Amino acid sequence: MSESWLPAFVAAARSVGLNYGFLLNAFERAAWIDGVVVSIELSALGIVSSLIVGMVIAAALTSGRPYLDRPARAFVELVRNTPTLVQIFCAFFVVNMLISQALGGPQNNPLTAYAWVVIVLSLHYGAYHAEALRAGIEAVPRAMRESAVSLGFSRREILTHVELPLAVRFAWPSLVNNMVDLVKATSLGSAIAVGEVTYASLMIWVNGDNVLELMIFILLVYAALTLLVAGLGTLVENRLRMPGYGQ
Amino acid sequence: MASEDILTLKTSPSPRVLPRIPSIVLWIGAVALAWLVLAHFYRDTMSTLWAWAPLLAGGLRMNVLISVLAIAIGTVLGAIVGALELSRGRWIGAPAKAYVQVFRNAPILVLIFFATYVFPFEIRFGSTYLPFPDWIKATIGLALPASAHIAEIFRGAILSITSAQWEASASLGLSRSQTLRWVILPQCVKRVLPPWMNLYAMITMSTTLASLVGVTELLESAKNATNTVNRTDFTIIIYLAVLTLFFLYCYPITRFTARLERKYAFH
Repeated sequence: MSESWLPAFVAAARSVGLNYGFLLNAFERAAWIDGVVVSIELSALGIVSSLIVGMVIAAALTSGRPYLDRPARAFVELVRNTPTLVQIFCAFFVVNMLISQALGGPQNNPLTAYAWVVIVLSLHYGAYHAEALRAGIEAVPRAMRESAVSLGFSRREILTHVELPLAVRFAWPSLVNNMVDLVKATSLGSAIAVGEVTYASLMIWVNGDNVLELMIFILLVYAALTLLVAGLGTLVENRLRMPGYGQ
Repeated sequence: MASEDILTLKTSPSPRVLPRIPSIVLWIGAVALAWLVLAHFYRDTMSTLWAWAPLLAGGLRMNVLISVLAIAIGTVLGAIVGALELSRGRWIGAPAKAYVQVFRNAPILVLIFFATYVFPFEIRFGSTYLPFPDWIKATIGLALPASAHIAEIFRGAILSITSAQWEASASLGLSRSQTLRWVILPQCVKRVLPPWMNLYAMITMSTTLASLVGVTELLESAKNATNTVNRTDFTIIIYLAVLTLFFLYCYPITRFTARLERKYAFH
C-alpha cells in the first residue's frame, strides 16, 4: 500500500488534537487492518449461514408436525429471550469445553473461538430470520398453496418452490434488519478474544492514550459495513421484486 | 399423504379436547422440571451452586438496576430527541436525526467501551471528588442507544396518528396543547408501550455486556465463580443457571408485549 499520505493524515489529525500515531507503527497498523478483515469475514459468514439456519427452522415451524415445530418453537423462544453474550459464553466455555474433553484435550478440538462466534451468531440470527420467514410463509395466499396441490406438488416441493420464494420476498426487509444487527453483534467476538476490529482496537488503546481516536475509526467501520449490508439488501430487494407485489 | 391434509394444515387446527394452557405456564413448568431433574442427578453440584447463590443474586440485582436506570434515562432523553426530530427548524431537526442515526447504528458494546474509557473515574465538585463508578458508565453506554431507539418509537407513534384527529379536535374547539394532551398522547401510549417493552427486554439482555468492562453483574459473578470452583459440572450448571434467570426475566415481558400488540393491532 502506498504510505505517502499516511504521515500527512497523522500530522493533520494531530493538529486538531487527535493522536493517530498507531497508523505509523507497521505492527499496530497491520493488526488493526487484520481486525477489519476479520469483522468483514465474520459478518459475511454469519449472514450466509444464518439465512440457511433460518430457512431450516422456518420449515420446521410451519411443518405442522408437532415433533418438528415444538422443538423449533422452543429453540426460537430460548434464543430470543437470553442475552447473546451469555449464549456465546455457554457455547465457548461449556459446549467447547465438553467437546475438548470428549476428544481428549483442547489440542484435538478443531473448533476455535472464531468458529464459535460464527456458529452462535448463525443460530441466534437464524432464529430471528425464522420468525420473519414464518410470518412470510403464513402471508402466502391460500390460493397459491391450493394451486400447487392441484398441480401435484408434494409438501416439500410446495415449501421450496412456492412458499419460500414468496416468503423470502415478503420477509426481506426484516431479514436485512437482522443482518444489520448481526454485523453489529460481531463486536461480541472480542469477549472471547477473536481478533475482530473491536478487539484489535482494544489491544491498541491499552498501549496508548488514543481511545477516542480509535472509537471514531470503529464507528466508521461499523457504519460502512451496516450501510453496505443495507445497500446490498435494497439491491437484492429490487432484483427480487415481482410484478403484482409491492408498490 | 392426502392432499386435503396439506390444505387444512394452517387453516383449521384439530379440535381441542383439553383447555388451552398458556405457553408461559408450559415454559415455566418445563424449566422447573428440567431443574428438578438436574438437581436429582447433580445433588453435590447443586449444593455448591446454592453456596454461590447470594453472589449470583447480587449480580442479578446489578443487571436489573442498570437496565431500569438505562431505560429511565433513555426514555426521558429519547422523548426530548424524538420531539426535536419532529421540529421543523433545520438547526434542531438535523442534529437530532444525526444523534439517532449514530447511536442506533453503533454496536452497544462499542458504546459501553466508549462510556467506560472516555469518562473520568471521578468527578470534581469544588474540593470534593465524587467517584464515577464503572456501572454508572455502563448505564450511560446503554442509555445512549436506548434513547435513540425511543426517539424513533415516539416519532413513529406521533406521526402514525392521522391528521384528521388534529383537525377534528380543532373543530371541537380544543387548543393545540389540549389536543396533544387529551387526544394524541393517549393514543401514542398504546402504540409506544409494546415497542418500549421490547426495547426494555433488549436493554436488559445487553446489561451482560457490562461484564466486559469489569462490572460485577450476573455473568461476571458466574465467571468468577467458575474460575474459583474450577469444576466441569459446576461450570455447566452455573451457565445454565444464568441462561435460566435471564429467560425467566425476559420471556414474560416478551409474551406480555405480544399480547398487547395483538390487543392494540386494529385500534
